[in-house]
Amino acid sequence: MQTIHDEKFSSPEAIGRGFKEQGFIASRQIMTTAFLAYQLGKPLLVEGPAGVGKTELAKTTAAFLDLPLIRLQCYEGLDESKALYEWKYGKQLLYTQLLKDKLDSIINRENGFAESIDKLHRYDDIFFSRHFLEPRPLLKALQQEGGAVLLVDEIDKADDEFEAFLLEILSDFQVSIPEIGTVQAVTKPVVFLTSNNTRELSEALKRRCLHLFIPFPEPALERNIIRIRVPGISEKLGRQLVAFIQAVRQLEIRKAPSISETIDWARVLLILHAEELSSDLVRDTLNIFLKFEEDIAVVAERLHPLTAGAVRAAGD
Amino acid sequence: MDRVLSDFIVSLRHAGVRISISETLDALQSVRLVGYNDRETLRDALLAALPKSAPEKEIFARCFDHFFSFDYFADADATAGPDSATVRAATDFSLPRTLLSGDQAALVMAMREAARAANLMDIRFFTQRSLYTLRILDRMGLPALDAQIQAMQADGSPGAAQQASALEKARTFLVDNVRRYVAQQLTLNTPTATQNLLTSYLRHAKLSMLEQQHFQDMHSIIQRMVKRLNDLHSRRRKASRRGQLDFKKTLRKNITYQGFLFDPKWKKRKIERPDLVVICDISRSVMRTVRFLLLFLYGLNKAIVRIRTFIFCSNLIEITSIFDEYPVEVAVEKIRLGADLPILMGRTDYDQSFRDFKANHLDSVSRKTTVLILGDARNNYAEAQTGILKMIYERSKRLIWLNPEPPPFWGTGDSEMKKYIPFCSMVKECNTLHHLEGVVTSLVHHRH
Repeated sequence: MQTIHDEKFSSPEAIGRGFKEQGFIASRQIMTTAFLAYQLGKPLLVEGPAGVGKTELAKTTAAFLDLPLIRLQCYEGLDESKALYEWKYGKQLLYTQLLKDKLDSIINRENGFAESIDKLHRYDDIFFSRHFLEPRPLLKALQQEGGAVLLVDEIDKADDEFEAFLLEILSDFQVSIPEIGTVQAVTKPVVFLTSNNTRELSEALKRRCLHLFIPFPEPALERNIIRIRVPGISEKLGRQLVAFIQAVRQLEIRKAPSISETIDWARVLLILHAEELSSDLVRDTLNIFLKFEEDIAVVAERLHPLTAGAVRAAGD
Repeated sequence: MDRVLSDFIVSLRHAGVRISISETLDALQSVRLVGYNDRETLRDALLAALPKSAPEKEIFARCFDHFFSFDYFADADATAGPDSATVRAATDFSLPRTLLSGDQAALVMAMREAARAANLMDIRFFTQRSLYTLRILDRMGLPALDAQIQAMQADGSPGAAQQASALEKARTFLVDNVRRYVAQQLTLNTPTATQNLLTSYLRHAKLSMLEQQHFQDMHSIIQRMVKRLNDLHSRRRKASRRGQLDFKKTLRKNITYQGFLFDPKWKKRKIERPDLVVICDISRSVMRTVRFLLLFLYGLNKAIVRIRTFIFCSNLIEITSIFDEYPVEVAVEKIRLGADLPILMGRTDYDQSFRDFKANHLDSVSRKTTVLILGDARNNYAEAQTGILKMIYERSKRLIWLNPEPPPFWGTGDSEMKKYIPFCSMVKECNTLHHLEGVVTSLVHHRH
């Protein structure tokens, strides 16, 4: 793979340091897996609850390697023409109109119909050449001279068929375009796939990828993340808020708050100039990290013990 | 060290993690990159390469801890008593010498080697424990050790007796550790082996004989079967939706655009999902089978099959709405208890039940409907008319009768099965999960 980047990815620790410079605090597991994915040249399938930094990992890698990030957002009904390539129909039409006279002269000079067709056949490939090809994310990623980071986001939202179609790209880094032939990657891209586990992915796809599951972070790691991402926050408040969020995750709620919500909440508390957590403050800002009416009700009910517990836990 | 990795992968497979060859190669390469030096890094690396889902990661964590644990012969130093040096000098065999020298690493290595030679990886059942322990001890040189102890005891001199007792202690220590190792390997290997055995037993066990404790297992087996059926048939539906150009239709439609083929029309195959009417006898003799049949049917995707369900004993009622309202397990439990349902749990009366069906629900059966009747046809010696059954049979596409009794019992005693058979498209014995699966598969498979 790209030898220029080898130094940056020389060991899990080097990756950890690099990511940290980009403001992404990775656990050991993440560092080791990213290291292996890069060294083996394998796509990395990242799973985990929403908002734990799956997409962020790809973005950070791109920033760290100083490569363009090419992102393909998956959704139901996504197909080749949107993911891989499309012919520029407009341009094709425009050119045929512009070249009409030319065409007339080519065809008219011949008398026979068969001869005209013959002659036309000699030109027909022009309209299906690379000039008229509109590359979509996948093809674009393969064509990047210096390599790229390709992020296939939320692959579980796409159909089974699309997943099967991805296999060729993921294992050989090439795609087949019927009119042109097989396109090989100029430089192998670094590929990330993310999934929210709304459905089981196929065995074939999993087999071709390394797999990384990012869980909700440990308290120490989460405190670290808050410290880096929200620099202005006081050490005490940071500890309290992480303890509170960790406690909320243990409750039976529909959508447990993840890191992105913790960060949002920390920012809000910073703007409110809060010094420490209090029941009233939490009550007023619950909606920052809870996204369902029922969840807010559940947490509001246990507000006092939760807050007291968090304050106590942070004090230790 | 590759040998260690492949042993580990084998035990992962035994534990139920599916690992392909290409993943094994990934793991090998990963290990080569990170090395065996740091346990945590090794663990992270293998975690990325081998297990590919959350449950598999859990199994992996357990296996990894078991497999790469090095607490065997932990207190090997303790056996190396103060006078062991003299004993060591007196023995020629390697086993006693290592034992007494307290070299933990050497002992573990020797044990692993012996285990490999004895094919310990093949251990499946707890009854094989002592067999494998013996084999390993044999290979490690226990007979020679025993012989030596005996020789020393026979010698009679105080020094020899002391040495013998030291060796005796070391021997116990060795046997203990090997036994523990075998037991642990067994726990690594057995879950799936026993599970597979249980699964195949449960699939063919008579539903009416099942113990309560197996219900949970049955549910998970049913879920797996249903998932397979769903996968199979939803894919077929999707494929058949893909149309070809319907040229005639396109021409006809595009006449309005002066014959320019502007608006293409596609051939579409209409997918018929089976329309199912299920009529179940819920008297005690049949209830178990009913329970599992319903679990099975309602597990199927709504897009694959549309179901209306009726139950009867002394009279017949419709219970489709219960299934709409509650999850399947809850609904089945509600029906079993019969609470809040206008059903009379007296003598089973097939005649009355069929009359009820005709009076209230006959319009639910059409040319497209498959009727599934589950019952033992035991009418308690009451009169059995076949007129209504015939009527249902003629109205429906197919009428399938499932009887939990084996065929030789049909028509014996108060069974009216022989009378009903002529008016069924198919009659099947149905009292194991295996039978149920066959029936349900044929239901969704049936070509229209």
